[in-house]
Amino acid sequence: MEVQSAVKDKVEQDKAMALKEETAKTAANTAAKTVKMSGKDVCVYYGEKQALFDVNLDILENSVTSLIGPSGCGKSTFLRCLNRMNDVIDICRVTGEITLEGDDIYDPSLDVVELRARVGMVFQKPNPFPKSIYDNVAYGPRIHGITADRTELDELVESSLQKAGLWNEVKDRVAESGTGLSGGQQQRLCIARAIATKPDVILMDEPCSALDPIATATIEELIDELRANYTIVIVTHSMQQAARVSQRTAFFHLGKIIEEGETTQIFTNPQDEKTQDYITGRFG
Amino acid sequence: MSTEHIVTSYEDELASLDNKIAQMGGLTEHLIADAFDALSKRDAELAVKVISDDDKIDQFELDIEEQAIAMIARRQPMALDLRQIMVAIKITSDLERIGDLGKNMAKRVLSIHSERHPAQLMHGMRSMQELALGQLKDVLDSYAERNTNKALAVWRGDEEIDAIYNSLFRELLTYMMEDPRNIGLCTHLLFCAKNLERIGDHTTNIAENVHYLVLGNPIQEERPKGDKTSQMLVNHDDQD
Amino acid sequence: MQLLTDFFSGLLGLIISPLGVILLLSALAYYFALKKSSGFYAEHGREVHSLPFYNASYVALSIFLPAAVFLLIFSIVAPMVYQSMVETTYQNHLQSLTDFQQSNFINNVFALTTGNITSKSSEMITEASQYLTSLMNVGQYVRWFGTIGFAAIFGFLAYRAVNPRLRARNRVEIIIKTLLIICSIIAILTTIGIVLSLVFESLRFFQKVPITEFLFGMHWSPQTSIRPGQVSAEGSFAALPLIAGTMLITFIAMLVAGPIGLMSAIYLSDYASPKFRSIAKPVLEILAGIPTVVYGFFAALTVAPLIRGWGESIGLSVSSESALAAGLVMGIMIIPLVSSLSDDVINSVPQAMRDGSYGLGATKSETIRQVVLPAALPGIVSAMLLAVSRAIGETMIVVMAAGLAANLTINPLEAVTTVTVQIVTLLVGDQEFDSAKTLAAFALGLLLFVITLTLNVIALRVVQKYREQYE
Ligand SMILES: Nc1ncnc2c1ncn2[C@@H]1O[C@H](COP(=O)(O)OP(=O)(O)OP(=O)(O)O)[C@@H](O)[C@H]1O
Ligand SMILES: [Mg+2]
Repeated sequence: MEVQSAVKDKVEQDKAMALKEETAKTAANTAAKTVKMSGKDVCVYYGEKQALFDVNLDILENSVTSLIGPSGCGKSTFLRCLNRMNDVIDICRVTGEITLEGDDIYDPSLDVVELRARVGMVFQKPNPFPKSIYDNVAYGPRIHGITADRTELDELVESSLQKAGLWNEVKDRVAESGTGLSGGQQQRLCIARAIATKPDVILMDEPCSALDPIATATIEELIDELRANYTIVIVTHSMQQAARVSQRTAFFHLGKIIEEGETTQIFTNPQDEKTQDYITGRFG
Repeated sequence: MSTEHIVTSYEDELASLDNKIAQMGGLTEHLIADAFDALSKRDAELAVKVISDDDKIDQFELDIEEQAIAMIARRQPMALDLRQIMVAIKITSDLERIGDLGKNMAKRVLSIHSERHPAQLMHGMRSMQELALGQLKDVLDSYAERNTNKALAVWRGDEEIDAIYNSLFRELLTYMMEDPRNIGLCTHLLFCAKNLERIGDHTTNIAENVHYLVLGNPIQEERPKGDKTSQMLVNHDDQD
Repeated sequence: MQLLTDFFSGLLGLIISPLGVILLLSALAYYFALKKSSGFYAEHGREVHSLPFYNASYVALSIFLPAAVFLLIFSIVAPMVYQSMVETTYQNHLQSLTDFQQSNFINNVFALTTGNITSKSSEMITEASQYLTSLMNVGQYVRWFGTIGFAAIFGFLAYRAVNPRLRARNRVEIIIKTLLIICSIIAILTTIGIVLSLVFESLRFFQKVPITEFLFGMHWSPQTSIRPGQVSAEGSFAALPLIAGTMLITFIAMLVAGPIGLMSAIYLSDYASPKFRSIAKPVLEILAGIPTVVYGFFAALTVAPLIRGWGESIGLSVSSESALAAGLVMGIMIIPLVSSLSDDVINSVPQAMRDGSYGLGATKSETIRQVVLPAALPGIVSAMLLAVSRAIGETMIVVMAAGLAANLTINPLEAVTTVTVQIVTLLVGDQEFDSAKTLAAFALGLLLFVITLTLNVIALRVVQKYREQYE
């Protein structure tokens, strides 16, 4: 009898311990992730046409948030709101509130140029400037005067290229044109260019859409590494990619956010019928 | 299930997966029923048939697993589809275990078919078998219908089987203690009872999987544990 | 001159009627071939190699092209044949005449026959003219029968060949390709012809005036005697002052047009609102449509006096016709050229490139300076060089505003002259065709051609070297 109760006690004890650990873990998870950027009731109009309807989304610090949804649902539009790239489009109008660390980025007193330096962007199609690889990466630092002298700039260029996983491939030819690289290399160059400006947030609009699986894997690996120091928002059409790289996922449909949550939850157990239909390929 | 997949062949594959599980489940039900029949009637011939039937179930398991893996590789399923495929793999493995347990009962028939069965014992065994079989049938229905309530009912019902098992266990112990010549037969019957109890456990597994498949989360309640035989003491004092 | 136009209008009249006939024949053939092939097309459908349209086109082309080629060759060859026949018939008479009189005689005969008034008619000419008339009558028959004959033979063969297996579609393709090749060859040959004539006439000039003097001499005054034997000062033909003048004016013009054109292009493409752009661009293009002579008198009557007055007010002596006035106005004239070409080039820099720069936090002007302009540079350079070629070739403004004085100077306030202006003055008025003065125009033309060609080649090389592949 004694043995039995001892066994029972032990089992009970283990259970309690496990439970404690579990709660501690989840607490740590949520506590570490503060909200970096946040959109409240964001509406976007292209002329008469409304492209986003009251979008609310929090973007957590040091995590990857992926935006998914069918073509034309407003993912790029929302992404471009986050660093005011929509300003470039004449007919585009944004209402609602978007904050970066609590400050409204559409505040008239805010300097757009500075905002974009803090919220960098990588585009769907690699768009290196017709300059040398070095100058491509040094572009941002030079504009913003990030480095004090040439050696510092050299170091920054090298470390950015290294972080983008491109250094080993181009270290002997940084003076050659950036447009002479392959598609995947160009995309990594664009990422290096974005990192070199030392942004807090990196926005990526379908960064792998033109890349082969290996180049895609390199970039996904890179995103995973960058997550430690940056906040990343990525638009992707690949469910698998969203599932692989992101911690949080938001599903857009017809300009609205239908569902938003932990990536694993969205991809194993979505709460909304539409989300389920979309990610399982049942849309229609 | 909501709307259909855009890719019809995907839809077809998922349907065929369900279909195979239904067939495999039906086969398993039959096998258990036959195994118990063979046991109660001491029918060696039927027992042999049961043993060979189990191969079919094993074949089904391989088949479904293969299809599931191919589908994971080719379709990269998400959400409901992912759960369905994962659950299919788990259910088949449970069904396969159930088949094995049935086969094990049939094998025992071969070694005890000449001996006399105490009728009262067989009565307890029968009601346990009926209960287990009913549970299996219900859980397969709940899978086919994606019915969580049914699955939950099965899950809770396992307690009953455990209760019968506990009393059978005690009864068999008593028989064995009464007359050591009973020990051979009773051990076999004890194992058969244990097998039926295990079948109940696998059935609850399936019920849990059905719940997960439909709702995306595991059953939250604490499961009532009815099998107390591990803590049962053999009390020699009774005899004296 | 009169003779020539009459000759051509006569030729045109000759061509018109048989041409009309073969056009009609082709149309008919098209119709019948279409009917025939539609018949078996309806029957066999997809098994038929070519659609009825191709079969019909093939037959129509088979009629039209050989007959048309025959007509063309006939209209070139026939006059030659007539002339040589007249010459052989009146050999004896012609032998008694000088070269000049011989060609005069032939001309007169042709003129009389085609019904033009001749300067003097003689019996011999009238007789020869009657002979020519009979020749031409025979020629008419040859022309009609030849044309219709060709049309009939080829048309028949082609029509007979129409069957379901005929690869009419491919044949039409070949015919079209051949036509295109011929057209481009004509363009190329014409260019080569012009260049060759320039070269040969220039060589004749260099027999009279040494090339070294032409290129390295310091003085330009082409006033030679008009007729051989006339007593006059020998002209001197040194192109250097002209080239210097050309360069000076071009330089001033580019100084005006380059920056203004480029910057207005930048403004239009990157800063202006679409509404403003939609107004400003056409206005700029209207500027390009103003005749240069208008710019010319604007330069001569408005700008030149203005500059003179302004110069004198600060104590500079400005000649009434100055390089500055011509250059300024010429610059204004080529602004639309520069801005519209540059605008195209700047617009063709992908928006993605700009977005990339904005996305890194660059301002608009940083983006333009560091990304857009470098990317557009090859195009801008070639636009500039095109504008330079235009400036070098421009004549009217310079004639009116810069004067004719061939001064070797780099002072923009003095009068200068340019290569093109001198070519004009050399050729204006009655000229003897092989005097040094006339031939000098060819040499200048050749020089101009070499300069613009060099510029174009340089432009091409620049574009190739710095072109960036941004798909
Ligand atoms: N520059 C623009 N002018 C007018 N309408 C636009 C513009 N850009 C986007 N839109 C409209 O806004 C809506 C959302 O476009 P958006 O580019 O955000 O879609 P998306 O989700 O990124 O699609 P995709 O996956 O195809 O990139 C679309 O209906 C589109 O037609
Ligand atoms: Mg998009």
